[in-house]
Amino acid sequence: MESLLEFALNYAERLGSTYVEVRCRRDVSNTITMKNGEVQFSGFLREFGVGVRLIVNGSLGFASTNVLNRKSIINILSSASSMAKASASSKPIRFSNETVATDKWEVKQKVRFDSVSVKDKVELLSDIDKLFRSGNDVKFPSRLLILNETLTEQIFMNSEGAVIRSKVPRISFSYILTAYAPGKGTAQRFNKKGESRGWEAVTSWNLDRLASEEAKILGRILTEGMKPPKGEFDIILGSEVVGIICHESCGHPFEADRILGREAAAAGESFVNRSMLGERIGSERVTIVDDPTIPNSYGYYLYDDEGVRASRRELIRRGVINTFLHNRETAAVMGVKSNGAARSVSYSREPIIRMSNTYMDRGEYNFEELVESVREGVYIKSFMEWNIDDRRFNQRYVGLEAYRIRNGEFTNPIRNPILEITTPSLFMSIDAVGREISFSAATCGKGDPMQGAPVWTGGPEVRLRNVRLGGS
Amino acid sequence: MEPVDFASFAVNTGIRGGAEDVAATCIREDVKMVRFSNSKVTVNQAWHSSILNIMVAVRKRVAIGSIEDLSRGSVKKSIEYLLKTAKITPPKRDYVRLPKGPFEYNATQKLPPPPEGSTMIKYVEDAIEGALSKGAERVAGTSLYRKVETGIATSAGASGYDSLSSFEISVRAFSDEESSGHANSCARNEKDFYPAQAGEEAAEIAVKAANPVQGEAGLYDVVLGPNVFANLVNDVVNAASAFNVDAGLSFMVNRLGERIASGSLTIIDDGTLSDGLNSRAFDDEGVPTRRTIIVDRGILKSYLHNSSTAKKYRCSTTGNAGWIVPQPWNIVVEAGKLSEERILQELDDGLYVTNNWYTRFHDYRRGDFSTVCRDGLFRVKGGEIVQSLKGLRISGNLPKILRNIVALSSERRWVKWWEVDVPTLTPHILVRDVPFTRSTK
Repeated sequence: MESLLEFALNYAERLGSTYVEVRCRRDVSNTITMKNGEVQFSGFLREFGVGVRLIVNGSLGFASTNVLNRKSIINILSSASSMAKASASSKPIRFSNETVATDKWEVKQKVRFDSVSVKDKVELLSDIDKLFRSGNDVKFPSRLLILNETLTEQIFMNSEGAVIRSKVPRISFSYILTAYAPGKGTAQRFNKKGESRGWEAVTSWNLDRLASEEAKILGRILTEGMKPPKGEFDIILGSEVVGIICHESCGHPFEADRILGREAAAAGESFVNRSMLGERIGSERVTIVDDPTIPNSYGYYLYDDEGVRASRRELIRRGVINTFLHNRETAAVMGVKSNGAARSVSYSREPIIRMSNTYMDRGEYNFEELVESVREGVYIKSFMEWNIDDRRFNQRYVGLEAYRIRNGEFTNPIRNPILEITTPSLFMSIDAVGREISFSAATCGKGDPMQGAPVWTGGPEVRLRNVRLGGS
Repeated sequence: MEPVDFASFAVNTGIRGGAEDVAATCIREDVKMVRFSNSKVTVNQAWHSSILNIMVAVRKRVAIGSIEDLSRGSVKKSIEYLLKTAKITPPKRDYVRLPKGPFEYNATQKLPPPPEGSTMIKYVEDAIEGALSKGAERVAGTSLYRKVETGIATSAGASGYDSLSSFEISVRAFSDEESSGHANSCARNEKDFYPAQAGEEAAEIAVKAANPVQGEAGLYDVVLGPNVFANLVNDVVNAASAFNVDAGLSFMVNRLGERIASGSLTIIDDGTLSDGLNSRAFDDEGVPTRRTIIVDRGILKSYLHNSSTAKKYRCSTTGNAGWIVPQPWNIVVEAGKLSEERILQELDDGLYVTNNWYTRFHDYRRGDFSTVCRDGLFRVKGGEIVQSLKGLRISGNLPKILRNIVALSSERRWVKWWEVDVPTLTPHILVRDVPFTRSTK
């Protein structure tokens, strides 16, 4: 395979490319889907091909094929090169200068995916499905469970001499659960667990306990949940909600390609601009990090798909805009080094700027301390519906598991409290941050064609002061 | 080898290995894409792929695989693995044997040669120039050419080939930092493909959208443009997939035969359209595709089915397999009687929403959702646009919106872009009492 990649590098240079990179990537993915207690299918997806990116006459071209011979490589390179030449610009694309790496990295599976039989995996899903139905007083008429494991192997080479080999296993379990009670209607819960590990991850998730708790909580929301109060309150957000906020309201608007307008047509731009580096956007308590190097995290990697070493980056430090997420193109434009945020989800997709594991850094409070000073408040532990405008300024999170707080004590569950708020107001309202960080797995969508990238979102619980519950 | 040969080889190998049912589709795809932003090309992309999808069933036990290495050895090995997996997978109660062929399919049209790289760039230049000529400050977008060839074979005697090519462009024009307009053009043939016009239209919206003010929350009568309704109708039709009905991802559970929308609304899925961007002669079980009325003048007439979901609902397949999840082909919303101009004039005091994104459901069973308005959003009084707005989202209930439709325009547009997966032909619609919300701080 390496000789074919070297051929691609050399051929692209003969076409006049000033920069070339090739990635040969194999994704082996296995999935079991269970609906309402019945396996719908067991299946696999095997992707294997080569993606080539090049700069010709200052224009960027990307091409891919899964027909792995010289003729096919010549065809796609010629196609990408001719389009790039036809679009030559007066503002040539440049990449930042980066250290050329020759390296190999791998996440080892302690328990290999294939050491656990399909039969055992199906039994696990059946057991979880039974526990999902175990809630009292309510029925669970619809349950959709999906178990996925993917092994990704890649060789990266570029015309600067980089050669990087990698191997990453990723495993995820996701579900959507519908609870129903006569006279109360329905409530739904979507959740996902995911890590870059072997089967041992599933064991560590303690899914039996999770399923029992989810069923119990959803039942309680349905049968006891009351209308949310109206007015201005202190709000405690659970780490699941904090995680999605960090992802949507900090990670995305800090992607330098959005800031420069490259994603304007589809995924959108950003309310943040280059001149805002160093500006305050949140309270002193707010530090938000994107870190691909967290061992076993769902968004884990050690080199990005441009061959740049991955690193932890503080996007917001103590409430101040500290850095953006960069690839080599945006880094060159802004006169900085890339911080290794270029990722591709397939050999057939161009690397673009992506988050990895985005979270709010820990604070000093334990949970009791966060709650005890709240006289009139709401605790939103989890969410179902959310969205944000394409400049990442106006967002909405609709709580799922949520409770009223009075005089520092939890009272009744409430249904569907809505936090609808602007990004600076949200970050400026945070006056206390908890000590314990936890993460949720998610698939982040961006790019055209759409690329769904595995990420973690997370943080500790936080407290917001004097926020009006939304919806109007 | 041609796509149908790969599919046939997979079927024969599966049957020899002991499968009772085997279906295979081989999809060969060539795509060229040019992305642009700030009025210049940002990346040129081209990709080629050949994928073989295989379904095997043994005593109602189903396994599905998708491979890109199409060598005989790889196919054989994959089928061996699928058979082994199927045998230890629990049976699927509602599984039925593949529909018996052979089937007659419509003849495949000969495809024109793909556009050269320079032609792809010309589409983009035309769109950019069109937008700039109408007052845009900068322009972004994506232009795409796609050619797909599909071969199918099943152990029940289906065998066929179909091919299709299409052109798409999605243009977003900006008149200032916060003001934008979006338009697209998509067609099966180059002669029906209008990049410059898409650019002009996007810019015209962007110019009208300049200097927006924060909108106020409340109930409004609204005109939803084709981009918005196409996005919402995609969710309506997904809710009609029998798999999603069973999975709790639908507000149509137990509603067949009932009124779920205004009498002015008819929604059809049609895999046979000559101008449909996602038309195909056969579904993944080899059944010829057809025209299926999902909602007929407000009444829910049919879910979308494959053979197995049809058995459960005691009806016939609608030719929408998906071996597991029935899928729509092209969505058609029947036209109304008012012109586009007239439908806006019907709006005495309300909003005109030209585009949206990020539609998310709080409860699929109830249809509670919200979606964010983007690009041109206008206050309309006495049928005239009086103000550009920003910062609003529709936060409502999808079935209620469908029930509150009062008029549809006679002109329709094909919509397909990032937020509209299934190509959709839809008019503008007028809806009463749609709730909008905004940030509270």
